[in-house]
Amino acid sequence: MQKSNLLLLPAISLTLIIIIFPVFELFQSSFFDPDFTTKHLEKFFSKKLYLKVLINTVKISIGTTFLCFVLGYPTAYFIAHSGKRFRGYFLFLILLPFWISILIRSYSWMAVLGIEGVINTIFISIGIIDKPIRMLYTTGTVYLAMVQIMLPIMILTIYSTMIRIEEDYIKAARILGANPFQAFIKIYFPLSFAGVASGSIIIFILSMGFFITPALVGGKKDMMIGNLINFQINQLLNWGFASFIGLVLLITTLIIVLLFVWLTKFKIENRFEN
Amino acid sequence: MKINIYQIINFFYKIYYWIVIIFLLFPLIVVIPISFVDSKYLQFPPKSFSLRWYENYFNDANFFVSTLNSIYLGFFSSIIATIVGTMAALALSKNNFFGKKILIGFLISPLIFPVIILGLGLYIFFSRLNLNENFLSLIIAHAALVMPFSLVIVLTSLINFDTTLERAARVMGANAFRAFWNVTFPYIRPAVISSALFSFFISFDELVIALFISGKIWTLPQRIWQDLRYEIDPTIAAVASVLIIITFVGILTGTLIQKRAEKFIGNIK
Repeated sequence: MQKSNLLLLPAISLTLIIIIFPVFELFQSSFFDPDFTTKHLEKFFSKKLYLKVLINTVKISIGTTFLCFVLGYPTAYFIAHSGKRFRGYFLFLILLPFWISILIRSYSWMAVLGIEGVINTIFISIGIIDKPIRMLYTTGTVYLAMVQIMLPIMILTIYSTMIRIEEDYIKAARILGANPFQAFIKIYFPLSFAGVASGSIIIFILSMGFFITPALVGGKKDMMIGNLINFQINQLLNWGFASFIGLVLLITTLIIVLLFVWLTKFKIENRFEN
Repeated sequence: MKINIYQIINFFYKIYYWIVIIFLLFPLIVVIPISFVDSKYLQFPPKSFSLRWYENYFNDANFFVSTLNSIYLGFFSSIIATIVGTMAALALSKNNFFGKKILIGFLISPLIFPVIILGLGLYIFFSRLNLNENFLSLIIAHAALVMPFSLVIVLTSLINFDTTLERAARVMGANAFRAFWNVTFPYIRPAVISSALFSFFISFDELVIALFISGKIWTLPQRIWQDLRYEIDPTIAAVASVLIIITFVGILTGTLIQKRAEKFIGNIK
């Protein structure tokens, strides 16, 4: 054992005590009160509301991830294939919003989309509409704000795999008779897929735990698991049940991520075999 | 003259990129003029300008205290995270051992858990120890949350570092600390500084964990959160504008430091 490995000790103990151990506490307080109990489990599955919120959370998270992929892939491609001199600037513009707090970014959508917001005022003054449209507190706005928050992550992860793709592979495909479209589908996309997958996983996990944005710009029916947890703790002080909901969130997230990894691996291998 | 079809595609592509940039930046840029309105409501474009919402922000004792809390919190947790993360990165880059990959995965695991899970777990954990509503717990919690960022940033900067340099210093008679301070540290300094800067911003902005464990010690994000749910007062627009400008400048500085370092290292090679 090297002596310098002792330098790892603070990091390991910090992670163990402040991150891992509390997550285990979550398991404990979901099933012990103070003796073993399944009351939280029964409560969660007895009411339709809780399942509905869970399904809604999964739906919004998958939707956000998918939209980020659709919008982010071409953007990453553009940056990765622009001149070396400009790349830094193009990336910087993507990074800027990424570092602004989620709270501020959600707030700015409130200012833009509210009844007296920027869009309504401009549209009324130009004469496109004569009464303000209600845009805030709708499901559409939740997607809009969440995609704006998550999109830079997808662009950055896809970009970082794209710049490592050798141009020669595409050239080889073209020389062997593939048209640009075939070369893209058969060679380029599979090579860039690692970035898509890791971006999707990060965005999906972050979205599953979101509650600031849906609470600020969403309506009552856009409640997500995070809001439910927050409500149980702040309003009802029921942290046993809140922990159980947290556990459900963690397990659901894990299952979907593993499913995604399993499914996409399968497909990538298939593509290369053909 | 024949216009190449690829040129047309490229042109639309450029437009697409700028639309995405506008989508990402537009709401943030709009907040700044709004913060200068004279009326009690959000207005765009503002009919008359004033600084009253900025005055409101700077004169409000509550806002002042919570801003100060957030600065302290960001400062201390970023220092702890950077020191702990850098130490771990040094050990990880120097030594190879069984299970190193797993250990790295373990150390960056705070990035993988949804923050709300961590907040909830920490809330239960700290209330068992009677350490909730304690500023020190909040600092430690944030340090643990942002440590992976420092670890990753410093570790990346060490990928191309020639460890024989430090060994050479040791052979010439420098003790371990001096060898580190005079040889390795200058090399990783830009990464350390930018990791401290980024950690500061993450902690300064963090709401969810603070919401769960800080109790009556309010941070700035908590104060904003509280305000936003009950009223949309232009004061928040002023606060938001200040934060947006500070973040822009901070990130620009961090990026420039790293850029200069890359150039510097490139020149050595």
